[in-house]
Amino acid sequence: MENPLQPPPVPVSGNDMQSQTPEQGQDKSADRYKTFIVVMTLITTIVTAIVASLQADANIRSNTANRDSQYYAVLVSGEVQRQGSKGSYDLNTMAEYLRLSQESLILQITALEQDDKGNKSDAAISDLMAAGAEARSEKVKSFSIFYTDPRYAPSTADGLPNTEAYLQDALAKANEYTEIQNAAVDDYRLWNSKADSYVSVLTVLAVAFFLFGLAQALRGRMRLVFATFGSVILLVSSAWTVLVLL
Amino acid sequence: MLKRIIESSRLEIFIAAMIALASITTALVTWRASMAGSQAGDAIRQGLIDAVKQQASTNENWKKTYEEGGYAQTYAATLAQIEAFEKSGESAAEAQAKNLRQYLLPSLQLFSQNLTSDPKYLKSDGTYDLEQRFADLQAQSPSSSLDPEASFKAADMYGAEQRWLTMDIVLLAISLFWLAFAELNTGRSRLFTLLIGVGLYLISLTWFGVVEIAFLVIRGGAL
Repeated sequence: MENPLQPPPVPVSGNDMQSQTPEQGQDKSADRYKTFIVVMTLITTIVTAIVASLQADANIRSNTANRDSQYYAVLVSGEVQRQGSKGSYDLNTMAEYLRLSQESLILQITALEQDDKGNKSDAAISDLMAAGAEARSEKVKSFSIFYTDPRYAPSTADGLPNTEAYLQDALAKANEYTEIQNAAVDDYRLWNSKADSYVSVLTVLAVAFFLFGLAQALRGRMRLVFATFGSVILLVSSAWTVLVLL
Repeated sequence: MLKRIIESSRLEIFIAAMIALASITTALVTWRASMAGSQAGDAIRQGLIDAVKQQASTNENWKKTYEEGGYAQTYAATLAQIEAFEKSGESAAEAQAKNLRQYLLPSLQLFSQNLTSDPKYLKSDGTYDLEQRFADLQAQSPSSSLDPEASFKAADMYGAEQRWLTMDIVLLAISLFWLAFAELNTGRSRLFTLLIGVGLYLISLTWFGVVEIAFLVIRGGAL
């Protein structure tokens, strides 16, 4: 049985090929697919280089999107924390204003009751305390966003502040960052998946290289079989690359 | 003349030398592309570290601003009460106001720090400019010099360089293809494919040089 493996090929010059014997003709027939295999190997090299560059590009995009998603996650957490401090300040201010205004009202009522009972000095003390509470409440009111900002201030004198609008505005910036962050995460997943697919294509292309190398080492029908398998794999890899690219 | 060149054994050596040169250049460009990728990764890492540090400092400054704001509010409310007592005409109220102004107000002012003592924070409506206070705290913060965006820009720059170099690698692979083709061919087609291979190699070499010099200049001399 003939050993299908053969020694490394000897380059044949143009002059040698012109004056060939029948034996040399058989050699030429045996080497028929050799150039084809070399060309296919070189095409595989180019396809591999292109896929490798696409993989590098997808990797860069995936890294950038990953970076953006992490950066915006930091910004979201910072914004939520800032809003927490601000919300706490705003709500405490409003609560303080409501407390002081009620206190002032109650003290005024108390002063009237004491006045009705004839306790003039007690009524004067209550009046004084009411004046103090009122002065404080009016000052605190000027600090409250719920009474100074026209977006949230009550529309009527005895109305309530628009807390829903306040909450919507308060979360707007964090929501905006979250949307950007989610988009970056989606981008990261997309490009990461593409980069992974390109790595798989490269792995399959390595198999094509192996088959072409084996075809180069064999002779006769087996050379053609392996070259055909290599070509099919190259074709499938190229189609896969196009699919990933689109 | 052309036939002599084609049949010359020196052409064979020249093709082999060109293939070796193109292979070495490919390795060099691949190394530079890898370096650029690595530096982009480093810049991203640095940018994220800076962003976290900066955000932590910003959070702290907002917290401090609103804390001071709360104390300043108490100070302002107490001052309003004192002024109301002073205007009441009641001797007991005036006495209370005098003592509150003398003993309580300085303590409250101490809590609110610069917000109540520095007139630049006092707004025309009697409230305090918290945004200005926050801006001043940020300016004083050691993390104010950190610039994550600059690191991200540098990372993008290295990423762009890596992309251009990777494209150059593809060009080099194509030039290698034509040079290897010249090695396999005979006659005039050998010369033709060799010329394409050498031409592509020279283009890719120029590409490499232009990309490297351009990015070196953009980065101000940093590799």
